[in-house]
Amino acid sequence: MTRAPRLLVVALCCSILMLAGCEYARLLRPSVLKQLNPRVVRLVNELPEVDHPNEAIVARLFAHGGLSHAKLGSDGVFRDRVYVPKNQYIWYPAIVVMERGGELELEFSNDDVVTHAAFVPSDGDRQVVLLPVHQAGKVRVTLNHPGLYWFGCPISNHAGRGMLGLVMVKGETPAEAKLDRPKQDRP
Amino acid sequence: MKTTVVVSLSLFLSAACTHYPSHPVTQTQTPFGGMNEAARQTAPDVTRTVDFTRIRNARSEPQNWLTYYGAYDGQRYSTLDQIDTSNVRQLRPAWQFQFGVIGLVPNPATYSFEAAPIVVDGVMFVSGWDGYVWAIDATDGSLLWQYKHSIPLDTPLCCGNVNRGVAVANGRVYLATQNGHLVALDATNGRKVWEQVFADVRAGESATAAPLVVKDLIIAGSSGAEYGVRGHIDAFDLATGARRWRRYNVPKPGEPGSETWQSDEWQRGGGSSWITGTYDPELDLVYWGTGNPGPDFDGSVRPGDNLYTSSVVAFDPDDGSLRWHYQWTPHDVWDYDGVNENILFEEGGRKLLGHFDKNGYFFVLDRSNGNFVRATKFARATWGDIDPATGRVTARIGPTKEGVAICPGPAGAKEWPHASYSPATRLFYTPVVEACGTFKLIPQQFKEGMAYWGGEVAIDKQQWGHVKAYDPATGREVWSWRATHPILASLLTTAGNLLFAGEPNGHFNAFDARSGELLWRFQTGSGIHSNPVTYSVNGKQYVAVPTGWGGWVEGYAPEMYGAPRGTALVVFALP
Repeated sequence: MTRAPRLLVVALCCSILMLAGCEYARLLRPSVLKQLNPRVVRLVNELPEVDHPNEAIVARLFAHGGLSHAKLGSDGVFRDRVYVPKNQYIWYPAIVVMERGGELELEFSNDDVVTHAAFVPSDGDRQVVLLPVHQAGKVRVTLNHPGLYWFGCPISNHAGRGMLGLVMVKGETPAEAKLDRPKQDRP
Repeated sequence: MKTTVVVSLSLFLSAACTHYPSHPVTQTQTPFGGMNEAARQTAPDVTRTVDFTRIRNARSEPQNWLTYYGAYDGQRYSTLDQIDTSNVRQLRPAWQFQFGVIGLVPNPATYSFEAAPIVVDGVMFVSGWDGYVWAIDATDGSLLWQYKHSIPLDTPLCCGNVNRGVAVANGRVYLATQNGHLVALDATNGRKVWEQVFADVRAGESATAAPLVVKDLIIAGSSGAEYGVRGHIDAFDLATGARRWRRYNVPKPGEPGSETWQSDEWQRGGGSSWITGTYDPELDLVYWGTGNPGPDFDGSVRPGDNLYTSSVVAFDPDDGSLRWHYQWTPHDVWDYDGVNENILFEEGGRKLLGHFDKNGYFFVLDRSNGNFVRATKFARATWGDIDPATGRVTARIGPTKEGVAICPGPAGAKEWPHASYSPATRLFYTPVVEACGTFKLIPQQFKEGMAYWGGEVAIDKQQWGHVKAYDPATGREVWSWRATHPILASLLTTAGNLLFAGEPNGHFNAFDARSGELLWRFQTGSGIHSNPVTYSVNGKQYVAVPTGWGGWVEGYAPEMYGAPRGTALVVFALP
């Protein structure tokens, strides 16, 4: 290859790379860099891969309370701890992830200056535990199916002010219940 | 120096990464252990002896309401006659069961109380919205037990958070949950015995219909034709929950009916089955309606008749195999579905079925072979014509990019709430929706789990409703009663020559079934979009109606958005 066409190829490759990379290059703009506070970095790094339609609600809660992966005990029960910080009307973490369906034991404690309660869904019946100021409480619930479930504080208007959390149960529908058709595009 | 730096750094880091709680825990609370554990009682084991034989002969024990429609024939007719046209004006509330929202709802979803209560020997089993099942003393409304299925907030809802009822047999209560699980509960205490998944929420499926017990099977239909699913009906072993069969309502290439699909759209062809079927034990045939094709309004991507959508499929309950089908709306582009009930009746020695379709026509078919008998228009229908003598369908107007006015709207001329047939008057009675709309075509790409309509419909601001009586022998309208709003509650007829009908404004009405004269009315306080039933205990007849307005309000009565809500079961008796 002579020099001129070689230069042309290099220039073309550079152009393609630049075009392909311009989304990333845009991240270096000062206006974008200014937004890279620790909360956003955490969001980008820690947010698990969620399906597009649920991204909005998950990210909204994540920004204020973060996310935690419940730990699976040797007895087959997932466990996690959730706190109520002072004067914020949030759960911390706001999202508790179960890698699969099963039993979940949540230990709540109230660091706030007013009484709260934790209201947690469970198959069979919902569980509720009161959380007076500086007190703790534990619930064990069963969530067998993949999906997102609210938990929250049923006292006064606390849930409406922000005390909503999610239990995110990961997993797929069993193969025998799926539709008999070729794989489809997902959002 | 080095130590100082390390300590300072540690302090700085620990201060930067705040850990809760910052106060020590002073005391640990124990949970309430279930919302109603303390109140939980045991229900008498009344369903233990309810089996196929008893359900087959349900009309011989009119004190009970053993299955969704009261009997396999779907007539929603009771031979109880203590309450009749002469004394119905004395009907009074006997008790109420109220269920308000405690704390969180699954998501800020619309809901309504749509169930058909089941009654067995003085115990009522009824499902609420959002996965609730209650066992109630049918004489005074006391709660015996409660089951709550946790429904994920990302369940793909078509039209609200609703459930239409449970089935009972062999000591169990069966519930199809909104996220597509079939759950068998111990009927004495509400505890789960087995659970099977029969729908894929990630593919846009859900479930709202009451399952049906036939022989040793429990049969369940799924929802989701608004999400481009491939609709199906599933059967499980009544005792163990083992899977027995699944039949798809949209055929694969090579299967019978596949010639009505030209492209690969069969994969997203819709045809879900969200209303409980009826059953003829002599012919051993189950009649189940199927929903709209997908996408709802854009027919250009799915040329052909699109079998077996917007149809009735008559199948063998033992293996789900198709015996015959009849398509009410070929190549449906109006979301008319075909799910409405198929009511079994006899006329001149012929075994027939009657069906009021969303497309505005009342069909009568020979139910042994699916042959057309007659069709009658029962409401405004401008989308097309159906020849009353031959059944030939001529489509006239479909959705356009600019938008075009078509009657009826996508709620149909009759939504899912059921018609009734009274063997006493030999008349059919139907709730009627008079709501037209502007149908717009909006082509779209399919993405699994996302709504797949291919269009949009704005409902007219002016709607009204009717209760109408038809003679199935001629298709003649016998009487008609006009209501302020569309009628969206199932009708109930009794041997007391009464017809009960609820309205969206909360009125629960009793008519003389022969003349259509309004005899009695009670304001329940919230709109009625459910299945009233009647039963008796210790010789006293009761009429029970779930009230609690909501659901797909924008589709059938947008002017009733914001109307009073609630979840109450109101039960009436004579003093």
